[in-house]
Parts: sequence; C-alpha cells; structure tokens
Amino acid sequence: MNENNSNEAPVDEQVSRHRKRKHDKRGETMDSFLKTSGLRRRVLVVDDEIINRMLIGNMLEAEYDVVYAENGREAVERLENTKTGFSLILLDLMMPEMNGFEVLDYAKHSEALKNIPIIVMTSDKDAEVKSIKLGAVDFITKPFHMPEVILARCERVIELSEDKNIIHSAERDPLTGLYAKDFFFEYIKQVEQYNASRQAMDAVVFTIEHFHLINEVYGREKGNDVLRTVAELLVDLFKDSAAFACHAEDDVFYIYCKHRESYDDIVDVCQQSLEEHSRSPKIFVRAGVYPEVDPEVPVETRFERAKVAYTRIRGDYTQKVAFYSSELYEKAIYHERLIADIEDAIENGDIKVYYQPKYAIRGKTPRLRSAEALVRWFHPELGMISPGDFIPLFESNGLIQKVDNYIWEQAAAQIKAWRETYGVTVPVSVNVSRIDIYDPDIESFLANLLTENDLDPSDLMIEITESAYAENADRLIEVINNLRGRGFLIEMDDFGSGYSSLNMLATIPIDVLKMDMAFIRNMESDDKSLRLVRLVIDIAKFLEVSVVAEGVETKSQLDLLKGMGCDYIQGFYFSGPVPPEKFAAFIEADLKVKQEERGKTHDN
Amino acid sequence: MTIDDLKAFGANTEEGLTRCFGNEGLFFKLIATVPSDANFDKLKAAAETGDTGDMFEAAHALKGALGNLSLTPMYDAVSDICESARAGNAPAPEKVKELLDLRDRLNTIVNQ
Repeated sequence: MNENNSNEAPVDEQVSRHRKRKHDKRGETMDSFLKTSGLRRRVLVVDDEIINRMLIGNMLEAEYDVVYAENGREAVERLENTKTGFSLILLDLMMPEMNGFEVLDYAKHSEALKNIPIIVMTSDKDAEVKSIKLGAVDFITKPFHMPEVILARCERVIELSEDKNIIHSAERDPLTGLYAKDFFFEYIKQVEQYNASRQAMDAVVFTIEHFHLINEVYGREKGNDVLRTVAELLVDLFKDSAAFACHAEDDVFYIYCKHRESYDDIVDVCQQSLEEHSRSPKIFVRAGVYPEVDPEVPVETRFERAKVAYTRIRGDYTQKVAFYSSELYEKAIYHERLIADIEDAIENGDIKVYYQPKYAIRGKTPRLRSAEALVRWFHPELGMISPGDFIPLFESNGLIQKVDNYIWEQAAAQIKAWRETYGVTVPVSVNVSRIDIYDPDIESFLANLLTENDLDPSDLMIEITESAYAENADRLIEVINNLRGRGFLIEMDDFGSGYSSLNMLATIPIDVLKMDMAFIRNMESDDKSLRLVRLVIDIAKFLEVSVVAEGVETKSQLDLLKGMGCDYIQGFYFSGPVPPEKFAAFIEADLKVKQEERGKTHDN
Repeated sequence: MTIDDLKAFGANTEEGLTRCFGNEGLFFKLIATVPSDANFDKLKAAAETGDTGDMFEAAHALKGALGNLSLTPMYDAVSDICESARAGNAPAPEKVKELLDLRDRLNTIVNQ
C-alpha cells in the first residue's frame, strides 16, 4: 500500500515534522484561538462511495467538522449556499452527476470556491497531473494511506492556504492592487538576493501634490478613482522596465525599475490624466529619483533618497522631476541634525537673541526708537548656523514655535532689564511666524509675558510677514485683531517682498509698515525701485501708519529716505544685530543725545 | 462477523483497521455495506450487455472502496476488471463471476 508514496519521507518523520512546524509557527495564534473559542474548521468530503466518505470522515472528525456530499453537483450547491466557509475540500474524481474534474474547473471561476484548497482522492495515478493542472493542491491515493499521514497532509494544506490568503490580503494595497510598502521592500530584497546579474536600477517616488483637494472638492470616491487611475498608468508605463510598483502612502507611489535617463514623459502622462479628472491648477505630479542605486544601500534608504530629491522641488511649480545627489543627501542629514539639536540648543543657551537698533530720523539727530530681536545659533560643533538655514526648516515642521517662544521670553526680560538699568524703555519687536498664528494660546502667552515682566503692550511689538496673510488670511486677521485689542502694536515685515496686495493692507489693521530691504538696496541705481520706495512711503502716510526702512547701509540712503518722509531706519548704517551687552552702548549714547537736546532747550 | 472470519476470507484486517483508526465497530459496519453496494449489480448488468463504460465506472468505484477496506481478494479481482474495462476490453467472464462469488461469500460472513 505504500508504493504510491515511495518518494516521500517516512511517515513518522512527516508527521512529526508537521507537528513541530505547527507548534512553532501557529501554536499561539489561529489554532489556539480556535481551540479556546470552541470553533472548528469545516472540511467537505465529496465521494460517491459511502465507505470512502465514512473512512475519511472518521480520520478527520477529531480535528474538523466534516460535511459530506455524494457527488460534484451536491458539493457545489453546498459550497455556494453556505455562510460558514470551508477550510478544505477532499474530492473524489469519478462520480455521477458532476465529476471531480468538473468541480475543479468550476472552482476556478467561483468566488465561493476559489480560495478553498482542494485535495483530490483517487486510485488513478494518471489523473494526478490533470488534477494539479486544474488547481488541486494535493493528491491522496486510494486505497488510503496511513490515516495520520492523511490528517497531517490536510492540516498542512489548510495551513499553507490560510497563510497564502493572509499574505495575499496583506501584500497588496486593496485600493490600487499595487504592493503594500513592507512587501514591496521585501520582494525587492528577495529578487536581488536570488539574482546575481544586476542591471542599473532606479528608485522613484511619485507624489500627487495637493491630492487632498480632490478628496475635498469631489469626494473620497473620486479621489480613490484618481489613485486607481494613476496606479494603472504607472503599471502600464513601467510594464517593460522590470518594475515593482507600490502604493506607499495616500498620495505617494514608489517604483523600482530599470534605469532610465528621464522621467519627464511619465510625469507628463500622469499629469494629463489627473487634469482629465480635476481642473484644479494646484494638483501636480512630481517625481524624486535616486538613479542607478548603490546596491550596498538598503532598499528603504534608496527610497528615502528619492524622497529627499523630491523634497527639494516640493511646491516649486517649475520643476517636476528631481534627481538625488549626495550633496542633497548631506543637506538632508544636516537638517536632521539641526532638528535633533534645537531643544538642547535652547536649553544650553546656544540660541542667543541679538538686537538691531531702529532709529527715528525725522528730527535733526537720529534717535534710538526701538530694536528688533533676531535669533542667532552658536552650535558647539557646527559653529554659527545661519537663521536662513534653520528658520525655514523649523517653519516647515512646527519647531519654530519653540524657538519663537524662547525669543519672546528673552526679549521681554531684556526690555525689563534695560529699563531697570537705564530708566528708559526700549521697545523690542519680535517676529511671529506664520506657524505661530495657528497656536490657540499665542495671545495669552504674549499677554503673560507682559505681566511677568511688568511691561506695557506697546513695549513688545509684533512683526508679522506677508506670507502669513497669503497662507491663512482669516486666522491672521483674527489673531492681529485680538492682539491689537490687548494693546500690542503690529508691524508688517518685509512689505513688498512677496505677495504684497493692497487688499491685505485694507483688511489687516497694522501700525507700522516695514519696507523690504531689496528696494532700499537698489533704489539708488534703479529708478523703478526708487519710485516703489516713494510709493510705499505714500501708502503708509495714506494709511496713517509709520514706515520703517530696512537694510540701510549708507548716509546717502538715509538722506534720500529722510527726504521722502520715511520715519524709521534699521540697518548697518547704524548697526547690525548685536548681543544685548553691546546694545547697551546705543542706549547710553542716546541718553547723552537726549541730555544734550534737553540742555540746548534749557540754553534756549 | 469476526476478525478471524475476515482473515480467513483473505482480508488484510490489520491494514483495514488501521485505516479506521483502530475502530473495529466502524470497520465491521463499513464491511457490512459492501455486499449490497449497487455497483455489483451495475457491473453484472454491464458485463451482460458488454458496456465497458458502465463496467469501468462500477469497477472503479468498487475498487476504491474495497481497497480501502483491504478486502484483498475482491480488490484484486475488481482491479483486473477495472483495467480491462478502462482499455475498452470486456473482462474475462470468470473474473466477474469470481468477484460476484466473493461478494456472496462476504455476505454470508456479514450475516453470521
């Protein structure tokens, strides 16, 4: 009776190997769950001979609920009309009404049957090939072999099938049918491990910028359609490139493919398809590429690098594809370092507040009017870090709030300290980032600083930039109105540098207009800049707010501005930003001027 | 019916019992169903008309069941019939008679 299985391992070994595996792999999971819950898997035995049904049933019923059918037709009816699924079908081939081959063929096209493994039982060795081709997973010969072996084979088939179904449901993104990220990485690793000859490969990240707008404007269903369309397109576009495709995040796709010189055409095709779905001019497809990947670099890192490349062009409407370079990567590493170090920097006092004086120039002698607080970072290892490097970075991730809060605290304490030392108040203006205005506690935070340091609201001036208006005008206006209601003075910083709009000036109640330094720098060489400076000063007069010119470096610039009616000047002509102990000299000098002027008045 | 009766009949009772997980009651119960299996009559009728198709179907079904119960003499006889019929040849009439005689002998054992 054993001749049919002569090519297999001895029975005992098979059984114990299976038991061990079962214990190792599943002991604590599905099996133990079924045991404790009292649930049992169901097995369908299909055979027209009662003797065979009873024998098999007797073997399996200790482990499974066994259900019987006398022929293929009865089996199909049972399977199609049951709510509780079957874990396994044991199928005889020669049967009246509907034979086993017909059942196998039917199962391939039936939703109810296609995921249930089928083991064929027959005395006919010749039927083995045909059965396997038709989708049977295993083959039991009649007369039956040792019951333990049959049971073990049934268990193994169920186990493999369940694992396969679990993997299949997890490896694919249900929306697009592309690989899920973990499996995507894993398959790339496996392919590379078992394929020695390597061709140059690219790691590519495709992003649909502002994809959320499609969901918001047209609804999620439409958004899903768009994602499916993009996924299909990518699969189609890369079908000859030995590519893996992955739906990594909502609006992000990964492609791993044979190296190509350009991705512009692919981005264009995707973009066109998007435009057919949505007319929003803000929705863009962009790609970041790590070309000809270094096989020594881990797979995940390859896509990190492609992302780094993409980040460089995010929001830049003029570029649609960016390629990774090591320089870019070093910059990203540098940024990571800054992010990691900023809290310690605040704690250790590496972040310092510098003060740049602003002078009133309307009178005969310029007088110290106020100061602007500016941040400096002295990193113990990296040296002096430019605010141009870390402020945009921290604005992009929200850390700017921590830095700004610190600056405000320092500035408020400094105003108090100077007043205690010199008996005069030097108002200090602080920058409020466009990120800060989203903080619901910003007003109470600033108000508390006044109380703690015994200051008037007009001592701490608030500088905001135009970009905050462009981003969320309603919230900005709300915050400004509330702050002004508390007595704070508001300065509009960098006016003219970005999206200046007259409408903004009409809707935002401000107290001071700060002209962007680019106008001042060019006004002596460029007539247009000069006329714009005059225009801004006129606008300020019209709005009855004072105007500050930034970036003033020379006496001639000062005279020109004074002639046009500018109120205040900030710039290297007087001083760059200095630490508070140096700033003290400006206060002392101004006190002298004040005394002299008083003296003159007395003399007169 | 006893194990010794079946042994005397030529059955490999150890193997048959093993296939029943040692359940003697089940073994006897299944053997008791054999003589009344309709496939014997189907086989007999097909042998008379020379319908090798029907003969193959009946022999094939019996072969599986008889083999599973290790009723060796009957299994051997029906296997021969099955192979002849599969090839489209009518089996030797004595083979069919041998099988039917064995069925009758088994029926006697079952009813003892």
